[in-house]
Amino acid sequence: MGMIKKIINWSRLKSPWILHFNTGACNACDIEIIAALTPRYDLERFGVILKGTPRHADVLVCSGPVTRQIEDRLIRIYEQMAEPKFVVAVGTCACTGGVFGGCYNVKGGINSAIPVSAYIPGCPASPKAIIDGVVKLLKSLEESETKAAPAK
Amino acid sequence: MLASLIYILIFPGFAFLGVFGLFAEFFDRKLYARLQNRVGPPWFQPFADFIKLLGKEEIVPCDANPAMFTLVPVIALSTVVAAFLYIPLWNTTSLLSFNGDIIVILYLLTIPTLAFFIGGWYSSSLFARIGSVRAVTQLFAYEVPLFIGILSAALLANTWSLSEIMTFYNKSPVLALFNILGFGVSLIALLGKLEKVPFDIPEAETEIVAGAFTEYSGKFLALLRLTLDVEMVAGAALLAAVFLPFGLGANPVIGFIFFIAKVLFVIALITLLRTVFARLRIDQMISFCWKRMVPVAILQLLICLILKGVIQR
Ligand code: SF4
Repeated sequence: MGMIKKIINWSRLKSPWILHFNTGACNACDIEIIAALTPRYDLERFGVILKGTPRHADVLVCSGPVTRQIEDRLIRIYEQMAEPKFVVAVGTCACTGGVFGGCYNVKGGINSAIPVSAYIPGCPASPKAIIDGVVKLLKSLEESETKAAPAK
Repeated sequence: MLASLIYILIFPGFAFLGVFGLFAEFFDRKLYARLQNRVGPPWFQPFADFIKLLGKEEIVPCDANPAMFTLVPVIALSTVVAAFLYIPLWNTTSLLSFNGDIIVILYLLTIPTLAFFIGGWYSSSLFARIGSVRAVTQLFAYEVPLFIGILSAALLANTWSLSEIMTFYNKSPVLALFNILGFGVSLIALLGKLEKVPFDIPEAETEIVAGAFTEYSGKFLALLRLTLDVEMVAGAALLAAVFLPFGLGANPVIGFIFFIAKVLFVIALITLLRTVFARLRIDQMISFCWKRMVPVAILQLLICLILKGVIQR
């Protein structure tokens, strides 16, 4: 049993498929996320593939503050993803609300709507920072999974 | 009994085809990346993807028909594996063979597309429905040139049995050179069958998310991806058997290496085509298939008929 679990954990770390969702960013963070996926940075080396549907994705990459309009949709997309799933917040806005924090139409960072596993600050976060953040997320998963079985 | 179990489950059944299919996916993706000047995925990437998907939660949408939704991946995978049993590997005899098996192979390779259609339709998501309807629309365009291309080679050999076709071309390899048009047409049609780039209209991820696979997750998605990989291997093996009948009859080891090399060669051609071209629209694809590929396939048929007359004289 232990062996099978180890293999599954290994495969999870080696093939994180991502879904990109703009929760209300000014678009600069989105452009940087797209830049990180271009052949120049070649994320397929780490098994990262951009997927169009939440059913296929493991990691939800969100950019921008959560606006009141998008909140329901964000939660719905999160619920459509299959377990185990992780959320990465890209950009200062996604971490805390950033420059939009406290606006009448903004709720706050991504963690005001759904649980977040990794925060990548920067306005906008550069592609290198995004890759670094994802690698750190995977590392922390590796450590936590060797210590204890993850809560489902 | 035991022997047939081994044939079905290990070689050349599920285990061998699964591993070879996943390896072929790696080969395809790596070559694709190298052609785009990227580094590309490591060798274990398709295996990691497959195991990860097996370990994930699977969700059946509440509007979907659960029986259809869950049965479709299994049916699709088993039909392509069954099709492979009829294709000879290192010599000219396949595991199962009878007169007419080439038609059976072509039909067995059609069933996955219909299965994707049914799965996409019953998952009752808008994107999946559009994707599955497109898959079937496309089916009517590429099947005709594929059938004419492959069957004209069979016509020249004067038999409907794949083993006898291979024996025929193995005896006179020069005749295989006359089938080059048919090979080109079947290769392009195979791109449509595998939903690869110029014809990946059914799963166009920039328009309709993931086509018929949109609602699939976990184990089901793993099986569907494996189906496409095995279909790629089976299609490439079929083309290699009909159009590249070289290096047969030697001892099994060398023959087997030849077989793998031929299949990888066909897959490399597919990858090259999908790197060079961009996606067509569905109407462009259909008019291309009917107006360009069918005439070329019929030309191939004429060449074969004339050649046959000349040979028999
Ligand atoms: S962090 Fe900066 S660049 Fe990113 S969405 Fe917010 S304001 Fe735009």
